[in-house]
Amino acid sequence: MHIPDGYLSPQTYVPLYGASFVFWTIALRKLKKEMDAKYVPYLAMAAAFSFLIQMFNIPIPGGTTGHAVGAGIIAILLGPWTAVIAVSVVLIIQAIIFGDGGITAIGANCFNMAVVMPFISYWIFKVIRGNSEKGMRLYIAAFLSGWLGLLIAALITAVEFGIQPMIAMSPDGRPLYAPYPLSVAVPAMALEHLLVFGIIEGVVTAMLLKYFFKHEPDLIYALHGGAR
Amino acid sequence: MSFIDSSISHLGKVIKSGYIQWELSSKDGFFHGLDARVKMLFLIFFIIIISLKKEILSELIIVLFIFGLTAISRLNLFNFYKKVIPLGFIFGFLIALPSSFNVITKGEIILPVIHFSKSYDFWIYHIPETIGITRQGISGVFMLTLRVFNSIALSFLILYTTPFSEIIRALKVFKVPDAVLMIITLTYKYIFIFAKTVEDVYLAKKSRTAVKIDNNDARNWTAGRIVFMLKKTQQRCDDVFKAMLSRGFSDTIKLYGFRKMDSRDWTAGLFLFFAGVMFLWI
Repeated sequence: MHIPDGYLSPQTYVPLYGASFVFWTIALRKLKKEMDAKYVPYLAMAAAFSFLIQMFNIPIPGGTTGHAVGAGIIAILLGPWTAVIAVSVVLIIQAIIFGDGGITAIGANCFNMAVVMPFISYWIFKVIRGNSEKGMRLYIAAFLSGWLGLLIAALITAVEFGIQPMIAMSPDGRPLYAPYPLSVAVPAMALEHLLVFGIIEGVVTAMLLKYFFKHEPDLIYALHGGAR
Repeated sequence: MSFIDSSISHLGKVIKSGYIQWELSSKDGFFHGLDARVKMLFLIFFIIIISLKKEILSELIIVLFIFGLTAISRLNLFNFYKKVIPLGFIFGFLIALPSSFNVITKGEIILPVIHFSKSYDFWIYHIPETIGITRQGISGVFMLTLRVFNSIALSFLILYTTPFSEIIRALKVFKVPDAVLMIITLTYKYIFIFAKTVEDVYLAKKSRTAVKIDNNDARNWTAGRIVFMLKKTQQRCDDVFKAMLSRGFSDTIKLYGFRKMDSRDWTAGLFLFFAGVMFLWI
């Protein structure tokens, strides 16, 4: 889901930088206010943890393996605002140090994976979990939060791709940026994330939550409704 | 536990690529000696120019320009393009190729592929009588491929000629707050420390394992190691914070200033700036 350079027109990537910037500013202010000087090493720790989650390939029932984006589980474990900064820092490092994801697309990638996904996942988890403190409902909530969080982030990414032929086309009908219209981009992204990547994300989210719940329940932010 | 092997190998690659980047950036070529601020401004300026260009010829000229800069920076051209070309091919050409057909991009068919007896319509989709590659479609594919290729080449040129710490400090030019730069720097260092820890933990586990482990046990082990890593990272976070406090940290983050730009930096900066302006016009 990392958008490379060249796929988004300036009319798209500039506003998305702006949207991400708003969330970065609020998240930093919020965390700085709540944690005082400790927010710098704390956020770096959270970002490194987020990076490491993406490094682990986990076997999924059915014989395949996959890695999670991790934004959902980070939001559940550390809070959605922490996830905004942690996942954004990882995406920025991946773009400028490892060449993974475009520099012009940093704003778009952060918006999709570090803003939309953590908040959607977190609130889905909170709503489905209800008042349950343990049991299957918790794991179903975790699975659906990972699955739907990634699916909705993917749909927003698909819309960003799909509007390119509408807003940036040469006079002779040649696409200048991402060439696929909404009628192709949305079903393609929706299907692969609904049936494959979303399920991987859901399984990884539920599996990690299960392990955390069993061994380190105090570490789970979403269960204690912390202020972050 | 082959999937864990592949994860560990991935981690190993992360560590290796970090060190390789560091090593390559310490050589003495044209770009290596330039002030990091000049290079970062050049990178952002040219990435924007590349994203604005709408003609294949302009992108081709930029390909040659980046090739020239890579050559005078004395980077190993074979290794450099061995990395850039496959990425450009996959993210540019392969992904965009289906859009060259008239099913996606309407226009003048230059290579018919399939011919049906009649056209078909279902829901919002239209299958024409003749499916083929259009001039507009293939032109769009080449345009996108060149743009992706140029962006990747430019990013790698800066990456291979600038140490990480300099890249981060140069971001100050874009008014990135010091606290954010500090978080990025600490994260980058943590990543390498924890990647090494994960590798060590896995090797320790492997050396004690004599039988084949099924996927369920492997999943539990992996989840357990991730929990362990979070505990470890939180512990490290506390240690780092205490170390920061003991050195007088009081929430005021100040990064050391830059060296003064010399005439070489100014000359190169002006040359790159005028080259960029020229590219904007062609």
